[in-house]
Amino acid sequence: MVTKLKEVDAVVVGLGWTGGILAKELAEAGLKVVALERGEMRTTADDYAVPNIRDELRYVVRHDLMMDTARDTLTVRNNPSQEALPMRRLGSFLPGDVVGGSGVHWSGHTWRWTDMEFKARSMYEERYGKAFIPADMSIQDWGITYAELEPYYDRFEYTAAISGKAGNIGGKLQDGGNPFEAPRARDYPLPPLTPILASVMFDKAAKNNGYHTFPRPSANASRAYTNPDGAKFGACQYCGYCQRFGCEANAKGSPHVAVIPFAMKNPNFELRTHAWATKILKDSIGKKVTGVVYTNVLTGEEFEQPAGIVLLCAYVLNNVHLMLTSGIGAPYDPASGAGVVGKNYCYQTGAGATLFFEDRHFNPFMNAGGSNYTMDDFNTNWNFDRGPHGFIGGYNIGGGFNTALPIGYRPVPQGTPQWGRAWKSATAKYYQTAMNIGASGSVMANRANYLDLDPTYKNAFGQPLMRMTFDYKDNEHKMGRHAADTVNAIAKSMNPTAMNAATARTDPWTVVPYQSTHNTGGAIMGVNPKNSALNKYLQSWDCHNLFVVGANAFAHNASYNPTGPVGALAYWTADAIKNRYIKNPGPLAPA
Amino acid sequence: MMKISALSLCLAGLIATPALAEGDAARGEKKFEECAACHSLEKDVNNVGPSLAGLFARKAGELENFRYSPAMKRSGIVWSPQTLEAFIAEPQKAVPANRMPYAGLADAGERADISAFLAKTGK
Repeated sequence: MVTKLKEVDAVVVGLGWTGGILAKELAEAGLKVVALERGEMRTTADDYAVPNIRDELRYVVRHDLMMDTARDTLTVRNNPSQEALPMRRLGSFLPGDVVGGSGVHWSGHTWRWTDMEFKARSMYEERYGKAFIPADMSIQDWGITYAELEPYYDRFEYTAAISGKAGNIGGKLQDGGNPFEAPRARDYPLPPLTPILASVMFDKAAKNNGYHTFPRPSANASRAYTNPDGAKFGACQYCGYCQRFGCEANAKGSPHVAVIPFAMKNPNFELRTHAWATKILKDSIGKKVTGVVYTNVLTGEEFEQPAGIVLLCAYVLNNVHLMLTSGIGAPYDPASGAGVVGKNYCYQTGAGATLFFEDRHFNPFMNAGGSNYTMDDFNTNWNFDRGPHGFIGGYNIGGGFNTALPIGYRPVPQGTPQWGRAWKSATAKYYQTAMNIGASGSVMANRANYLDLDPTYKNAFGQPLMRMTFDYKDNEHKMGRHAADTVNAIAKSMNPTAMNAATARTDPWTVVPYQSTHNTGGAIMGVNPKNSALNKYLQSWDCHNLFVVGANAFAHNASYNPTGPVGALAYWTADAIKNRYIKNPGPLAPA
Repeated sequence: MMKISALSLCLAGLIATPALAEGDAARGEKKFEECAACHSLEKDVNNVGPSLAGLFARKAGELENFRYSPAMKRSGIVWSPQTLEAFIAEPQKAVPANRMPYAGLADAGERADISAFLAKTGK
């Protein structure tokens, strides 16, 4: 039996970055907002404080802050000719499962994606001709511009306490910043973090090779900070427990620090935890949504929450899954290319080298998301001519460490036995003397990479699992080889005692081990309802009172981490709803 | 610079009791931003750290509704401007194994500003 509750103005599914931003903004605009979060409440004071948070076994090995695959998971395969099998343990990516979502356990890298992504198809066609883009590469323009998003990037950076160094303010290049970034109105709210030794060595080597390094912009407060809403951040202590942990010092820009407390203080807002959304309801003609059905996972009770506006703000894959199970938008069919929901699912690729210096002591336990230098010479640098290399997209390179913890961080030179006395001796010897240089690469959309519902396997609620069909294509192989060559050339120029060279990922993608939680696409934004699920305001083309906010809207995946545009698009959507939609409900962009 | 340092050393030598720099509460309020992400100044409002309301009348580890480290409970500290400034100079040295994730405040003048601010707000 489903208990029908009293209607509210807006219901938010998932309370992480996008849900937190929208809940706060819409509650402050006077809307009655209810948020449904599948996980439980967690706070810095009760859950992320020292010493309990520094528990690699609990948070990294046992995934304390992540989704439970015994309740819901997805099936995976590389191509449509294979039978997909369920991912029974978390591996390649780690969706969050508490109040704050993945914004609790991210490391904080915050980038501004530029028109090189938003206008990818038109820019590459204009420069290299239509034939340069492979026939099966389904990249398309996003329908939004960097100039439109700039004030919202700014808003997110000041909300989330980003430390960094501007490279281009109003068209004027700034010493020490990224010369390839798009112009920004002003600098970051906080100066860069102090770089660690390994990163200083990388910086010097990359500069000697003619590259343009700069401190990685990151949501780790380099000093105490109060954001424009009044959220207070402590200074980063470089404790090394960033990725997969809540921050013990309130120094990491996370939704449970930066935005959610302001929604919680507002009498217009109500949070329901342990609330698992199973279906979005539509009206009889299917032109509007009417609310959300959810299950309280503690009691098994089912509720219907009617709402004037539904905001899907869960993890990428869950947003798309809810669209598919609720029958909103035409499911994508890879054979015909028709349909939109599930289309253009993308991931990321990369290549990394480990360098050993017997005379160095790196103290790898000290670091933060932003304590590393990075370079964009083969990424947002449009002057880098992709023509001779035959690939689209790019990669950025960083050097140093990020969350090098005692159980998992065990660098040893290739050829070392993988167990026993020789391994023990090598791991003790090399722990202090190793550093990494890594490239993170884009993945362009491909006709054969997509999400749909699995025909066989079901979750704890009896719903079909999401099925992920994904593999790296020739474009990514070519880029990966280029990235590995660049990483290895920089690494060799540093004359390490020993080195595990970078290699391109050219084997079929697998769901183990961990690679990146940067899944994108599946419900993408665009200008045409025939090839996109959402308009540029992340509003469903099919039901105008449904907004689907997150990296699901990305038409392809860049080399950059996704949270910058995820946060900016949440503010962009909030403004569109507050300033336009509430006054005149209906499609915000012409079909 | 050398001259000034030498002079301040002489001045310090003239004062018999351990010198406490006169703090500036206004400057301290600004510096307190470093503490405010974890410490509230409202009574009974604990965050990552305990409330600092009425600090200078308390023994360390005294608030019943805050989970202190055993080290802090055992420390025997009674909070005063002197003991606070000694503690925040290098917290892990002053009370080893306490669980405050803060490396310390090296500048004695800034430490004095913070205790001046806390003395003012605590009244």
